[in-house]
Amino acid sequence: MLPAMAKVQFCFIFLIYVLIKCESAAVDTISNEIKIKNVDRTIDISSQLVKISSKITVENNGKSPVKQFLLAVEGAAKNNVAFIGAKDSNNKDLRITETSVKGYDNVKFWRVDLKEGVNAGSTAVISCESVFTKAILPYPTAITQAEDQLVKYNGNLHFFSPYTVASQKTNVVLNTKSVESFTKVKPFLQQDGTIVYGPFTNTAPFTEKELSIHYKNNSPFLTVSRIERLIEVSHWGNIAVEEVVEIDHTGAQLKGPFSRYDYQQDQHSGPASVRNYKTLLPASASDVYYRDTNGNISTSNMKIKKDSVELDLRPRYPLFGGWRSHYTLGYNVPSYEYLFHQDNEYLLKMRVIDHIFDDMQVDEVVTKIILPEGTTNIKLILPYPVTRLPDSLHYTYLDTKGRPVISFTKKNVVENHIQDFQLRYTFPRLLMLQEPLLVVGFLYMLFLCVIIYVRLDFSIHKSEHAHKD
Amino acid sequence: MTLEIESMVRYASPINPAIFPHLTMLLLGIGIFFTAWFFVYEVTSTKASRDLFKELLLSLVAALFSGFGILFLLLWVGIYV
Repeated sequence: MLPAMAKVQFCFIFLIYVLIKCESAAVDTISNEIKIKNVDRTIDISSQLVKISSKITVENNGKSPVKQFLLAVEGAAKNNVAFIGAKDSNNKDLRITETSVKGYDNVKFWRVDLKEGVNAGSTAVISCESVFTKAILPYPTAITQAEDQLVKYNGNLHFFSPYTVASQKTNVVLNTKSVESFTKVKPFLQQDGTIVYGPFTNTAPFTEKELSIHYKNNSPFLTVSRIERLIEVSHWGNIAVEEVVEIDHTGAQLKGPFSRYDYQQDQHSGPASVRNYKTLLPASASDVYYRDTNGNISTSNMKIKKDSVELDLRPRYPLFGGWRSHYTLGYNVPSYEYLFHQDNEYLLKMRVIDHIFDDMQVDEVVTKIILPEGTTNIKLILPYPVTRLPDSLHYTYLDTKGRPVISFTKKNVVENHIQDFQLRYTFPRLLMLQEPLLVVGFLYMLFLCVIIYVRLDFSIHKSEHAHKD
Repeated sequence: MTLEIESMVRYASPINPAIFPHLTMLLLGIGIFFTAWFFVYEVTSTKASRDLFKELLLSLVAALFSGFGILFLLLWVGIYV
């Protein structure tokens, strides 16, 4: 190739590269036209999760309408964010995308696209919900069987925002009166189970002030370290779901011995331990099984309710801090609940992850979908970004070339992630006959062998009356 | 072209799962009957009286009914192939 030609080509490729780079690195700027008029913030730390819901009144002080604004999470908490969502005043979900701002590398930003822009001089109310995992830490980190669990929450006293906040109020929900210590910044008010801070006026952008609360929290500190959810679709009218769950008690560690006698004697013994928890399954679930490597775990109850099947699961042993358990939970649902079709085009609409227990936190979820053999044109649509794993094949009864398996994984999952995925695929209906015909073919081969066998002569000596036979 | 979910209908099994046991019984019953007939024929017939066409036909009918019978037996016991 000519050198000049190569140079031109290089320049062209470089230009494309720069263009792509600009496109992908979503960099936003902080508009100084936006001012936050009022924030009403509720921090719920009564469970193992930190759930912050804020009602934000955004004011446009500029001249032109504002279409988007930024939400920020401080550097200390940015790795604990599991979920963030925003809704407008009509309770409709707003589109939210992760972004970054130059000069603030330590802060995590999200851009909220407002459906109807805020006109100059007017305001809009947005409610924002965020969930943080592993932000409440046991303190002390080890307790005995009889002790209550004390935990510490470190947060931000002010609403962390890239904009000036004119007025704000924070409500911390603890659901307990036994508070060891808490940050006392005036004005504050401690009422039974809640602490109210504020109102604070005219807070500068990116203000961080320590909020520390040390209190009693005996709610279950259970973490699902890994869940593998297997969905097997059969076109004979069934969808089988199986979940392999690894569960950890991530609260304060158990110090000293465990006395089963004390534990059985008194219902209030071991207040920080987990005896049982409730799992909700879809209302159409049937043939439920709950077992581990030893076999069936008989200490479970199933209640069929109007809109769900409630399982009361009790592990083989109570879970204390640092203890873990492992089990398999499976059930069947009829295909008409989740599978739709038009001719040979199919659409599977199911949950990425289902409820395991209230206020659950899941470190890693792997969802696998096994489709019937001969499926083509597979297209997966997800409600939020996940990591797609390579497709594989699964072999089970009456398979020839294997069933396609679609799998994906996501880390740090909470209840807000219980949403539907959509999987579109093409499956020729006639292929359903493949399975019975395989059995038929196999049997026919057997019969043919018999037919051939009776025509063979294995005798050593020749029959005397061969011609007469 | 992607179809919208509103224009699609719910997918149910082509055969109602409620009749899987009955289908199993019927098909497997007929299948076993023909299988038995085939084997009885094989062991009782002599080289002269044997009719290849009859053998093939009997075994085909036996294989067809038994094959579908086994499939519905699998579905009945919960092995959704």
